[in-house]
Amino acid sequence: MVDMSFITNWLMFAAILGLAALGGMFSERSGIVNIALEGMMLMSACVTALVGGTSGSPMIGLIAGLVSACLLGIAHWALTQFYRLDQIVSGMGINLFAYGATNFIALSFFKPEVPNQFLPIPVYFWCALIALAASWFMFNRMRAGLRLLAIGENPDKARTTGIEPVQVRLWALVFAGILCGLSGALVVTNSGGFGDNLTAGRGFIALAALILGGWRPVSVAVACLAFAAFEAAQIQFQGSPILGYQLPAAFWKSLPFLITLIALAGLMGRTKAPAGLGKM
Amino acid sequence: MRPLSPGVRLGALALTCIVIVLIALITSGANPAQVLTTLLTDSFRSPTAFADTLKRFCPYMILGVAVFWALRAGLFNIGVEGQFLMGGMTGTVVALQAGGMGGVLLGAAAGMVAGAAWALPAAWIRAYRGGHEVISTIMLNMIAFQLSNHLVSGPIMDPDAGFPTTRTLGPQDMLSGVPVGQITVNWALVIAFGLVMGFGWWLRKTVAGYELSVVGANPTAGSFAGIDVKRTTFAALLASGALAGFGGGLQAVAFEGRFYMGFSTGYGFDALGVAILAGGNPIGIIPSAFAYGLLQQGALAVQTLHVPPGIATLILSLLVVLFSAIRYGKVRHSNG
Repeated sequence: MVDMSFITNWLMFAAILGLAALGGMFSERSGIVNIALEGMMLMSACVTALVGGTSGSPMIGLIAGLVSACLLGIAHWALTQFYRLDQIVSGMGINLFAYGATNFIALSFFKPEVPNQFLPIPVYFWCALIALAASWFMFNRMRAGLRLLAIGENPDKARTTGIEPVQVRLWALVFAGILCGLSGALVVTNSGGFGDNLTAGRGFIALAALILGGWRPVSVAVACLAFAAFEAAQIQFQGSPILGYQLPAAFWKSLPFLITLIALAGLMGRTKAPAGLGKM
Repeated sequence: MRPLSPGVRLGALALTCIVIVLIALITSGANPAQVLTTLLTDSFRSPTAFADTLKRFCPYMILGVAVFWALRAGLFNIGVEGQFLMGGMTGTVVALQAGGMGGVLLGAAAGMVAGAAWALPAAWIRAYRGGHEVISTIMLNMIAFQLSNHLVSGPIMDPDAGFPTTRTLGPQDMLSGVPVGQITVNWALVIAFGLVMGFGWWLRKTVAGYELSVVGANPTAGSFAGIDVKRTTFAALLASGALAGFGGGLQAVAFEGRFYMGFSTGYGFDALGVAILAGGNPIGIIPSAFAYGLLQQGALAVQTLHVPPGIATLILSLLVVLFSAIRYGKVRHSNG
C-alpha cells in the first residue's frame, strides 16, 4: 500500500514545511512573531521562477528568490524594530504585499514562451538537512545561537550583558528569509511553474509545526514530518476507503490545523513559547 | 548609529512605499495617472459599478466592526475570514430551507451563531488556556476553507450546477432595498451603518464598552479594578466572531443569494486593514471600509488597462503599514 510515490511526496512536503518552520524558528526565538512565513515563501516562489526562466540560469533564479524573501524579512525587521509596528500587523502587511506583488509580477512579466528552469529537487533536500543540523548546532553549541535564544527569552537581560537585540534580530530575519525562500523555491520547483497563491497556506502549516514542536529544531522537524505525512496520505488515499469509510481530502488537509488547535489548548502537554516573544 | 527623528523616519517609509507603487505602475506599461484614476473612480463610472462597490462596502463595515471589537480588547481576530465563510454558508443553507422573510431573518441569525461557534475554540483557548488567538484563529481559518470547500462541492452543492455552489435564493427570499436614484440601497447597508454607529455608542457610553477598552489597554489594571479579564476577553472574541458570521449570513441573504467556492474574496483579511485604517475611532470604519470597496472595485477595472488586479492589494498593504507606522510613531511620541 505504501509505495515510492508516497515516500517522495512525504519527503517533499516535509522539506517544504521544515525549511519554512526552521526559518520561522530563527525569527521567533529572537523574539519576533512571524506570521509572514507564507508571504516570504510566496515571493521567493514567484521570483525564483521568473528570474530562473528569463536569465536561463536556475542558480541565479534561486539566488534572486532568496534575496526577495530576505528583503521581506528585513522589511519585517525594520517595521517591527524601528517603526515599532505591532508584529502581527507587520506580518499581515507583508503577507498581503506578497500576495498582491506576486499576482502583479506573475501577470505582468511571465511569458509563456520562456521555459521555467529549476535546480534539481535533491538540492533542497540537502539544504533542509543542513539547515536542521546547523540550527541544532547553533542553538546548542554556538555563541551566536545562544545569544539569539537569550534575546528571545529576555531582551532586557540580554541587553545588560552587552548584546544588541536589534542587530541580532536582523540576522535572525535574514536567516528566516533564506530558509523561507528555499522553501518557496522548492514549492515552485515541485509544481513546475508559478500561479496565484501557489504556496496555498503552507507557510501557516509551517507556523503550526513550529508551535507544535515547541520552537526546538528537532521537535519542529518531527512535527513537520508528521504534518507532511498527512498531506502525502491525502494524495495516497484519495478515493480509496480506509476501514470501509472514505475520508474526504478536506479531512486530511485539516488534520494539521486540528492537532495544532488541540495542542494550543494545552490538551497535549504544554509547550513553552520563548518568554520574550513579541517584546522589544 | 544616531537615531533619526520620527519625521525623517516616516518620510523615508512613505518614500519607499511611493517608489514601490511607482515602479509597479511604470513597469506595467500603462499610464500611471490613468491607472490611479481608474483605481479610485471606477466605482462612480456606472450605477452597476457603484452597486458592486456597495456590495463590498457592506461586509467591510460589519467585518471592520468585528475586528475593531476584538482589537479594542487587545485581541487580533485574524479568524474573521473563516467566521465570515461559516456564517455565509450556514446562513445560505438555513435561508434556502426556510424561505421568505423568515428565511432572511433565520439566515442572518444562523450566520451569527455559526460565526460565534467558529470563534468559540479561539476564545476559550485564549481566555482560559493561555494559547495565542492569532495562531488559533489562523488554524480555524484553514479548517473553515477546507470544510466549506468540501461541503459546497458535495453535500450542499446544487446538483444541476457545473460549479461548486448551492442553489440560489429567489428574489422573494432575499433582503430587498430602497431605490435611490438609479441604484438600490439594500437594507443590509442600513444595518451595517447602524452596527458601526451602535458599536461606537456602546464602546463610549456603556460600562461593558469601557471595560473592554480597559482590558485592551492594561489587563492588570483592569483586574485590580474588579473587571473579570478572562470573561471580558472570552466575550470579546465571541462577539467578534458572531458579528463576522452575521456579516456572512447577511451577505448571503442580501447580496449573493447563494454560497459558492469563492464566496469571500478575502473580505476577512481586508477587514483587518479596514479596522487598522479606521484609527482609534469606530466611526472611522465607515470611510476606511468605503476606501477598501473603492480600491477593490478599481482593481477589477484596471485589468482593462492590462494592469493585474494585484496592484490594489499591493497599494492597500503599503497603506496599512504606513498608516500603522504613523499611528505608532504618534503614540510613542506623546508618551515621550
